[in-house]
Amino acid sequence: MKSVNQHRKPLRLFLSSLIFILFFTMQLFAQDGNAKNGKKIFNANCAACHKLDARLVGPPLKGVTEKRTKEWLFSWIKDSKALIESGDADAIAIFEEYNKIPMTGYSDFSDQDLADVLAYTDDKPVKDASGTSGAATAASLGIDSLQVVKGKKIFNANCAACHKLDAKLVGPPLANIADKRSADWLKLWIRDNGALRASGDADAIAIFDEYNGSPMTAFPELKDADIEALIAFTSHASILEAKAKTGDTEVSNVAEVASIPWATYLVLLVVVLFTIWVYFISGNGFLKLMMTIAILIATGYFLYAWLMGIGVDQGYKPIQPIAFSHKIHAGDNKIDCQYCHSNAKHSKLSGIPSVNVCMNCHKSIAEYTGPVTEERDKVFYDGEIQKIYDAIGWDKEKLTYIEGYKQKPIEWVRIHNLPDFAYYNHSQHVTVAGLECQTCHGPVEEMDEVEQFSPLTMGWCIECHKKTELKVESNGYYAKIHEELSKKYGVKKVTVAQMGGRECGKCHY
Amino acid sequence: MKSFIKITSVFALIIALVSCNSEQRSRKIQYMGDTDMYDAVPYEAYSADHKVFKNGMEAQTPVVGTIARGKVAYDYPNSEVGYQLAKDSLRSPMKFKAPLDSIYRVSKANLAQGKHLYNIYCAVCHGKKGDGQGDLVKREKFLGVPNYKGRQITEGSIYHVIMYGRGIMGSHASQLNDKERWQVTHYVEQLRNDLLK
Ligand code: HEC
Ligand code: HEC
Ligand code: HEC
Ligand code: HEC
Ligand code: HEC
Repeated sequence: MKSVNQHRKPLRLFLSSLIFILFFTMQLFAQDGNAKNGKKIFNANCAACHKLDARLVGPPLKGVTEKRTKEWLFSWIKDSKALIESGDADAIAIFEEYNKIPMTGYSDFSDQDLADVLAYTDDKPVKDASGTSGAATAASLGIDSLQVVKGKKIFNANCAACHKLDAKLVGPPLANIADKRSADWLKLWIRDNGALRASGDADAIAIFDEYNGSPMTAFPELKDADIEALIAFTSHASILEAKAKTGDTEVSNVAEVASIPWATYLVLLVVVLFTIWVYFISGNGFLKLMMTIAILIATGYFLYAWLMGIGVDQGYKPIQPIAFSHKIHAGDNKIDCQYCHSNAKHSKLSGIPSVNVCMNCHKSIAEYTGPVTEERDKVFYDGEIQKIYDAIGWDKEKLTYIEGYKQKPIEWVRIHNLPDFAYYNHSQHVTVAGLECQTCHGPVEEMDEVEQFSPLTMGWCIECHKKTELKVESNGYYAKIHEELSKKYGVKKVTVAQMGGRECGKCHY
Repeated sequence: MKSFIKITSVFALIIALVSCNSEQRSRKIQYMGDTDMYDAVPYEAYSADHKVFKNGMEAQTPVVGTIARGKVAYDYPNSEVGYQLAKDSLRSPMKFKAPLDSIYRVSKANLAQGKHLYNIYCAVCHGKKGDGQGDLVKREKFLGVPNYKGRQITEGSIYHVIMYGRGIMGSHASQLNDKERWQVTHYVEQLRNDLLK
């Protein structure tokens, strides 16, 4: 007993100090709320009735903290009605002004949440990716930032296919092009460069020759104002970029907290100690007998489970040659599974995309700009993209395939693999049955590394065939057989198993 | 004896601790693992390390000048000239003219299939409506995707672009077969007409 007591004291001290630290940090946070979180809360709860800079159902909320105290705001948001009834003059005035429509009370919000929302309402930079703060710096430099923003839109829609700002693509880099050419020349060139060349303009002909004689698409539909905006953008893109850097690159430090099942280990430890006690210390014959029986049963159970797991690779997650992330591609960027696994619709195999499919996007995406973590930073991701180029021989500076390059395959490690004696066909399940990939492969779009989600045992196949009904609509093939079978089994809808999805010969031959 | 058992149980515990936490990086053992019941005697698709082919790869590109079974020849060259030629002269085999009808039409089923395929293969960049606002563009990952409205495209040129790509857009011929390329082409035409309205 004594020893237990001794252990407790430091533990209690430790715990209470932990709580103290926690409390302290919470306090710190409460001081300056987190605007990013605030934006989320604002958009989810407040935005239905409030805007930042304009009246909606309720008043605009930008800079509201300058008008009212924090305490007042907290009690208003939590329960505005109570505040009005308490006779607060401000509260009553607002109530009157907004047609006596009471505001929903948010009593379940923590003070932290509220502080975050308020931080968002006075923190301007978060508001708009291309708006206010860029404008602030721009105004001080005498640049019309709206024009730059407009130029960016036009640039992205029309020019970016062939031009980058700071590097050669199909055409020359365009940053600060106004330093080299006059606006009038640019207008002529952009609207109809063919005509400009025909008129004998030396500059135009020189560019044409430098870029292998491939003509630039003409944009007769661009107005003077559009082209001026474009020029403004090519000269002052940096004001938007500086913005993007501070605002967009969020380092999500979601350090995965390994959830170690301590409780299990504790129980295990107790059991082991108890066993040792029973056999070597207690000297009780009955207990020993019971223990032996228990151990035999447990061993049998675990042995059986282990034997049944042979050849079942559920959870298998090999290290792939490129740290290709389905979360980034199929999840964040919403690329359809079949964009890459394009064989699934016609063939037995889904297939792993060949490198030309990767290059459809990665000709232009040579750099990773998404969210990063500590272990996987931008340098890591850029290196992984570089591996594609190393495999196929792509020169990302010159944007051409290197001639005579000895290409090497990317040797992906196969994960799902049925034994050779079982026949499984993707097109039957994906095209004919119309099943989602995720029913069998799990939430792949959330996996950074793919792992085998289903056991792929025969029992698993049969189980689904027994309970899944055939999709007969718009499939003429089934019209007759379905009618006969549903009569035979006396059911409205025939399952796969009843159609024959349980016959040995369908899968083993 | 006692200490021996104690030591082993401690070891067992450590092993249990370690094994529960690690990710499964290698395959488990297989029953009759090395027999041909499990691993195919014939080559598996996409496997490497076979000596039959010079470069050791299973997946081979067709021999130059041959056409694989089920594939359709496409004679227009991959160049600016070929593009113009296809734009002017390549016509769809999928359009038909019903009696008493003055315009060539595409069947509803083909258009529906075209839409399904378009949403998989093109919409990430070109957007579901063809306005150049796909998810990749909105997220500013891939830029320069045009609005179909702004391009003078014909069924021939659309097919040609799917076949070979154009500018920064890559070829989608490996993902779509001949029939599907035409289905997508007609759906793109439809989108463009809707946008022009
Ligand atoms: C950008 C292309 C791309 C997209 C989109 C994509 N995949 Fe993949 N997929 C790959 C590549 C490359 C591999 C091989 C590397 C790996 O296993 O991570 C792969 C592997 C897999 C595997 C494991 C194959 C094996 O070896 O057993 C499965 C299952 C899979 N993908 C399912 C999906 C599903 C489901 C989706 C849609 C949510 C999807 N994929 C979207 C490219 C893609
Ligand atoms: C439809 C377009 C598309 C295709 C096809 C595509 N990618 Fe990507 N890839 C992207 C986008 C978008 C990003 C994210 C870039 C960013 O966030 O800046 C990306 C990022 C990456 C990254 C870095 C992040 C990560 O996943 O580790 C790698 C590596 C990568 N791709 C490999 C591949 C490979 C290999 C293939 C071919 C199997 C492929 N990609 C096909 C669009 C594509
Ligand atoms: C009915 C369940 C099921 C569905 C639905 C399904 N798969 Fe599979 N998938 C499997 C099985 C089973 C295997 C193992 C096949 C083998 O080894 O022959 C597999 C293997 C794979 C593989 C690796 C081997 C190969 O075929 O290239 C990929 C990649 C894959 N699936 C992707 C997909 C994609 C993408 C989809 C959706 C379009 C999809 N799967 C839908 C069950 C399914
Ligand atoms: C998620 C449910 C599901 C799983 C899991 C599944 N199947 Fe199926 N399977 C179906 C459906 C639905 C059909 C009917 C398709 C159709 O409409 O023809 C089908 C049809 C089949 C057929 C054709 C049957 C016939 O009578 O023509 C075969 C063969 C088959 N599956 C094999 C397999 C194998 C092998 C596995 C395990 C590796 C498997 N299936 C796993 C849903 C499933
Ligand atoms: C990875 C992004 C991407 C995907 C996926 C994509 N495109 Fe494009 N597409 C582009 C870009 C970029 C251009 C502009 C190319 C240029 O003019 O330089 C373009 C241009 C076009 C054009 C106009 C070409 C011309 O004649 O001026 C057509 C038509 C087209 N795409 C059709 C398609 C179809 C159909 C698909 C689906 C099979 C598709 N695209 C998939 C990016 C893409």
